[in-house]
Amino acid sequence: MLVFEEIYKSYWQKIFRLCMGYVNDHNLAQDLTQETFISVWEQLPKFRNESSIGTWIYRIASNNCLRQIEKQNRFPKAQLPLNLMEEKQHNIEPRIQFLYKCIAELPEIDRIIISLELEDIKQAEIARIVGLSEANIRVKIYRIKEKLTQKFTSNER
Amino acid sequence: MSDNINFKDLWAKQTTIVPNPENLIVEIKKMKQSNLRKLVLTNLLLIATSIFIILIWIYYQPQLLTTKIGIILTIIAMVIFLFAYNKSYSLFKSHMNSQSNSDYLKDLLAIKAKQNFMEKTMLNLYFILLSLGIGLYMYEYTSRMKPFWGIVTYGITFIWILINWFYLRPKQIKKQKTKLDAIISKFETVNDQLNA
Repeated sequence: MLVFEEIYKSYWQKIFRLCMGYVNDHNLAQDLTQETFISVWEQLPKFRNESSIGTWIYRIASNNCLRQIEKQNRFPKAQLPLNLMEEKQHNIEPRIQFLYKCIAELPEIDRIIISLELEDIKQAEIARIVGLSEANIRVKIYRIKEKLTQKFTSNER
Repeated sequence: MSDNINFKDLWAKQTTIVPNPENLIVEIKKMKQSNLRKLVLTNLLLIATSIFIILIWIYYQPQLLTTKIGIILTIIAMVIFLFAYNKSYSLFKSHMNSQSNSDYLKDLLAIKAKQNFMEKTMLNLYFILLSLGIGLYMYEYTSRMKPFWGIVTYGITFIWILINWFYLRPKQIKKQKTKLDAIISKFETVNDQLNA
């Protein structure tokens, strides 16, 4: 239990950002983060250190985001009946908002890759999370960053 | 040129309130209970129907073999339905989601294909067994009626079976298939992104 709470505290924000980059919807991202931690809680006893705990959690989180496709078809909006504290998106800097918006418009896999990259995760680990070669990841990150820079420069002009 | 936009810096500024982990654990337990309740409720209806049929057997003591076969077929049909329903729940193994994205997508696609096949096959089997079962079951009781009423009874049942087979069944299959196909094609698109 103690272990879970430690993981929870150190990863909640990171997973939230990953989900936010994927859906760019504050409430939905909260829900997805919740679902991820429910999975983590359920599967933690089975975790065998075959990969690092980070890789393991990011895999669960990104797969959960991918599964979002299926849920969107089932419910208009995925929602867990949780009374999270009402939280307004208080004056977030427009540039931050714009970054998340741009990321959420990318193809699904690219969203995951760039979110992990921006979270400062090593490319070798991203490769293990996504299941592509490291060289492939490097090329993809380069292209995505180029795309984002383009969007930013044309937006700020 | 603002080529050096610090994306990492911007990225990290998005924060949210971290809810208390205790709440999450309470919610997990609640969710598990409600899932179980749903599963039990669906199965309960089918189990109750089966028990009802068995009670008829005991109470009316059917003489002919056809009646008994009919009852057994009807129950088998329901068990199959039950099995298919429960199975589609367990096709998705929870440990799967700690695989890499690419393996996960492959597994999801395989599961969806299997679901597509299973739903169709099971539904067909269910309808065939149910129709046959009811047809056989009725024989003993109809044979005691006057021929006219016997024909009317069978006629009505037959029409009902036809409606089921040619209208309700294809409609149900189509509904399931459209839903699954939409999901499958979306998963395929994402899967293609990995190979691009």
